[in-house]
Formats: sequence, structure tokens, C-alpha cells
Amino acid sequence: MKIGVFICHCGHNIKHTVDVETLAEYFRKYPHVAVSDDYPFLCSEPGQNMITDSIEQHGLDRVIVASCAPSLHGELFKDLLRKKGVNPFLLRRVSIREHCSWVGDDVEENTEKAKRLILSGLYGSAHYVPLEEKQVEVNKSALILGGGVSGLSAALFLSNMGMQVYLVEQAAELGGRVRELKSVWPSRKAGADIIAGMENELRGRDNAAVFTSSKLSNFEGFFGNYQATVATPDGEERFAVGGVVVAIGFEPFDPQIKPELFYGRDPRIVTTLDLERSGDGLKLPDNPRVAVLHCVGSRDEQIGRPYCSRICCINALRAAEAVKERFDGSYVESFYMDMRAHPRGGEEFFEDTQEKGVLFTRGNIAEIVPEPQGIVVRGEDTLFGEVFEREFDLVVLSIGMSAPATGKEVANLLKISLDKDNFFLEAHIKLRPFDTAVKGIFIAGSCSGPKDVEESINHGRASALKLYGFLNLGYAFVDPFISVVDPKRCSGCRVCEQACVARAIKFDEEKHIAHVEEAACMGCGLCNATCPSSAISLRGYVDTVIADEISGLLEAM
Amino acid sequence: MEEKIEKNPEIVGFACSYCTFKASEMAGSLRMKYPEGVKLIQVPCSSRVDPAFVIKAILEGADGVFVAGCHPGDCHFIKGNFFTRRKIAALKEMLDAFGMKDRLRLFWVSAAEARRFIEKVTGMYNEIKEKKNGG
Repeated sequence: MKIGVFICHCGHNIKHTVDVETLAEYFRKYPHVAVSDDYPFLCSEPGQNMITDSIEQHGLDRVIVASCAPSLHGELFKDLLRKKGVNPFLLRRVSIREHCSWVGDDVEENTEKAKRLILSGLYGSAHYVPLEEKQVEVNKSALILGGGVSGLSAALFLSNMGMQVYLVEQAAELGGRVRELKSVWPSRKAGADIIAGMENELRGRDNAAVFTSSKLSNFEGFFGNYQATVATPDGEERFAVGGVVVAIGFEPFDPQIKPELFYGRDPRIVTTLDLERSGDGLKLPDNPRVAVLHCVGSRDEQIGRPYCSRICCINALRAAEAVKERFDGSYVESFYMDMRAHPRGGEEFFEDTQEKGVLFTRGNIAEIVPEPQGIVVRGEDTLFGEVFEREFDLVVLSIGMSAPATGKEVANLLKISLDKDNFFLEAHIKLRPFDTAVKGIFIAGSCSGPKDVEESINHGRASALKLYGFLNLGYAFVDPFISVVDPKRCSGCRVCEQACVARAIKFDEEKHIAHVEEAACMGCGLCNATCPSSAISLRGYVDTVIADEISGLLEAM
Repeated sequence: MEEKIEKNPEIVGFACSYCTFKASEMAGSLRMKYPEGVKLIQVPCSSRVDPAFVIKAILEGADGVFVAGCHPGDCHFIKGNFFTRRKIAALKEMLDAFGMKDRLRLFWVSAAEARRFIEKVTGMYNEIKEKKNGG
């Protein structure tokens, strides 16, 4: 066995709290370690060359890369081994950045921890065997959940690329929340028009099937070969899809969660969304006094919504502007925490609105009291440090975005995760913002966090493009981490058969032993941990690998 | 008076790659701190953890072992963590006979709960440290 240990500095990220030179020196003395070195950036081209050169020069058959978390650059290092004719599953990644240098400050302690972690990887990898990735055909088709603006743009992109698309929308018509918007800032186009353009284009395509008033009822399979069951008004539909784009959107914040706002109990208190829907029908006196309240259902720890909804500052500005334009002598005052007019042109829009005569008061609203003659708003002006009390004829609540109501249900069906605010969680916030932890399932639009219309469209297209990139080849490799039965050890007790959730274990009555159906095995390793005879092993995570990793972490040294 | 030397415990954690390991990665990215004594072994699912691994770790000197997986109902492998829960409960009873019940913990941390991960491991570390130092 010839092992190469490569330790990354990651610039200063690892080096500043881990003594990388000492580590490299330390592992040189281990038996079977042919080369042990450190380098500023292993993922850079010279860093990669250092690894490939070492493989060639020393004839390495195990490569240990101690660097960032294994979820980053996974394929990059595997490819280096492939390039040199070494099985990529003989690579071992050890995370000494996310799990060591970034979580501790003491150099000595961290170096000791990194030493343990690498040793654990070294011991574990001794039991690695070459594994073969099986090539499977993938369906060049996609399921799009949600027919809002991001789902539609994803469906349009994929169908345009010649892929079969199934679009599933739970409402009776497509368009989601954008359909309700009278004028979408900054183009001032009606939401319904934007949707109609997209819908007509999609409906005209032969390779796009649209199901409205429908929802996903069952979902199984693996990347490239998922089986989706959709409950439609005409009964159940089943189809095979290669991947999924989840774009189920958001739920507007319901201000009734905060009873102190009197929303729903006084017609003079409306939301920005109400104003969109029925603003023209509003009955207001001649010189109306209108208050606009920002951050309703956003940046509020008490109701479990600590995040900024990002869209509501612009919505509040639009509401203020709309009132100002319709009623000449109106008095419009906007109460904000911070003005976050972040999209392009947003800051200019904020200034325009001020010039139109809308007053902006930075303040916390303490109380809203509906009186017959007007709504009394009390609060504190946080710039002047003064308490104020004013009377208004209309109070507009600029509501934020809440997580989609069906998020939990969809997450359970697709086996993807939600974040702490119940939006869908991306695989990596910067490097894989469209992916989920499950291969072939992507998220788009505001179901992964508040987004405006432009961002949702872009997000939808980006997710679609990523999915297209996965499916376009027509085949994919599946992880070889599946269970295998040793027929000599199997006693035929059938415990594993009952435990297997994927029903991948079948009992051979003739030979009286269990066997694993490779295509069905999900690779959880439950059977491995359950088998009383240690007859089943999960490839890549066999007992000896994990047992020796434990030894590596704890061995006296 | 002789100055007492504080002993730091060693804790081995088995972390499900779909949730707790992800949460630990996130905790790292957010530069949250936790004791160096806590070290993780990545497993595909918490159900991969054979009780024998826990015993092995304790025999080899771990002061504490934890198994961490997805919240019940959220398992990527549908119900792997239910099996884990039952196995760990049985194992805890066994360890109780040796007065070592407190050395083993099972907890659920989703991929988004970096803070919860930190709280759980630091809490466990501190409790075990106190015991180790005769507290």
C-alpha cells in the first residue's frame, strides 16, 4: 500500500490555526505513507499537479486530501485519481477546515485535532477497495412543481431545450402570486400579462404537459429515474422523470398572527397585497391620511420570522406612490426600520418617492388603535428619540413572505431539507445555491427564501439549466455505496429483510440466504448495522473502515 | 495548595451525512466554536451505526459518544432514524448496568440547525468534563 497525504493551507483559512508543516512532517513517518506534503491551495492547478505528479512518481494507491468539507470539490479530486488511472474511491477527504481550523482558536489544540482526524482517515482508507460506479440511463424529462413565475420560466427553458416537461400547479390557474400584481416594478407591466405571455408559449409546446389543480402525491426512485405520481382532477397520473425543479413559491404573511395590528377587524387596515387586488375600489376621504408600515412579518423574532423579506420595502414604496398619485392632497407617511431598496434602481425609486412628498419616519410602531374618526398610530421615532402619535384614514401593512404552506409536505415527499425558517435549504449557500442535498432535485424561486419577480425568473432558469446539465448526457453514474451480502456468513435469519426500508433485500428460498437488489438499495447501511452475523456490508462504509476510524480518533500517540 | 490539572474529555460523534454532518459543516462556515475534543465520523445514515461501534469507542477511551441524525420523520432513508432510536435505547439500558449510561447520547439535528449542533455538542462536552474532573 502506498499512501499520499496532502494537507491544504487553504490560504490562511487552515494555516492560521493549524500547524500544517508539523502535520505533514508527522505523517511522513507512518508506514505505507509514501508522501506527505502541505500546499497553499490544493484545489489550484499547481496543487492538483502536485497530487497527480506524486501519484505518478510514487505509484500511490491511496490519496488522502485534508482540506475543506468533503461536499466541496468532491469531483475535482476524484477526477485527479481517474486521470492517473487510480480508482476514485481510493480517495479520502478529511475536513480540517469546517471541522477543525474554523471551529477552534487554539493552534496547539487544533493541530492535535487535525492530526487525529487525518489519522482516522488514514486508518479508514487502509480498508478501501476500488469501487465501480454503475452507469444508468436517465430520463430526459423534468417535473416542475409550482406554476408560478419561476416554475414557468424553468418549464419554458427545459421544454425549449427539447426536454419533456411536466408542470404541476396546485391552484386552478398558472401564475402564482405574480398574477395578482397590477404593475410589477420596475417595468410597470401587469403581472397577469407577464404570466399570459409565458403560459401561451408553454401551452403551445408539444413537450410540455401542464396539470393544474393537481399535486404530487407520491415520489420514489433515484436520480435520472424518479417515478412521480400526481393527483389530478381526472385521476392519478404517473410518469418517469429524470429530475425535479421545486418552485412552490411562498405564502404572504398573514397579519392576523399579530392581533395588535387589528388586520381583518377594521376595513381601514389593509395589506400591500389587498391594495394590489382592490386598491382602486378603496373609499377614502378627500385629503386622505395614509400610513405605510414596513417589516410586517419580517425581522420579527417574536413570531419566528427573523429574516428580511427583501421585497416589501419596494412594495411599501409602490403603495405610498400609488396613493400619492391618486390623491393629490394626500398625506402619506411611511414608518420603516431600515430602508432596503436593494434591486437595481431601488434607491432611485426611494428618492423619487420622497420627492413626490411621501414622508419617511424611522420608527418602531408600538400601538395601533382604531377610533371612529381615524386610526391612531403610536410609536417611537428612533432618529429623534421622540414618541409620536398620529391619526390616519388608512393603514397599509407592507407584509413579508412566509415559507410555503405545503413546504413540509413536499420536503417529506422529495426527502429534501428545510431551513430554520421553513424555506427549502440549498446544498451550499454560495457554491450550490440551486441544488438540494438530493441529486437531481433543484429549488427555484421564493420557496428557497424571499425573492422578487426578476430574481425568481432568474432562479427558475438557473435551476433548469443545472438540471439540463445533469440530464443532457442521457446517462449518469450512481454511487456505488450499496450493500452486499457475503453468502458464506449469511445464516438466513431474514432480520435484514424486515429492516430494509427500500425493500432491496430479497430472500433466496433455495439457497436460504439473503441477497441485495442493487438498483433498489439506497445505501443507508441499516442492514449492515442490523445483521447479527456481520454478513452484509455497505460498500465504502464497511465495518472495518468505521471501526478503524474510531481507533484513529482515539489511539494513544 | 496543589493546582488541579483539568482533564479534557474526548467525544466521538457519529453524524448522518444528510443532516448533522451538514449542520456541522455549516457551523464551521459560520465560524461557530466548539471544543476540540469533539470529533465526528461521517456515516450515510444514523442507522448505519452499529451499537458495536459505540462500545468500541468507549473501550478505546472515548469519554462520550453521540449518535446524531435527522429529526424523526425527516430521514432521507425514510425511517432509518426510527431504527437508530430503538437500538440506542436498548444500548443505553445495557450501558446503564455498567453505570455508563450518561456516556451515550442520541440527538436530532437537521441540516439547517448549526446552532443546535453547537449547543448539543458543547452541552454534552461540558457535562462530561465536569464529571471527569470529579464534579
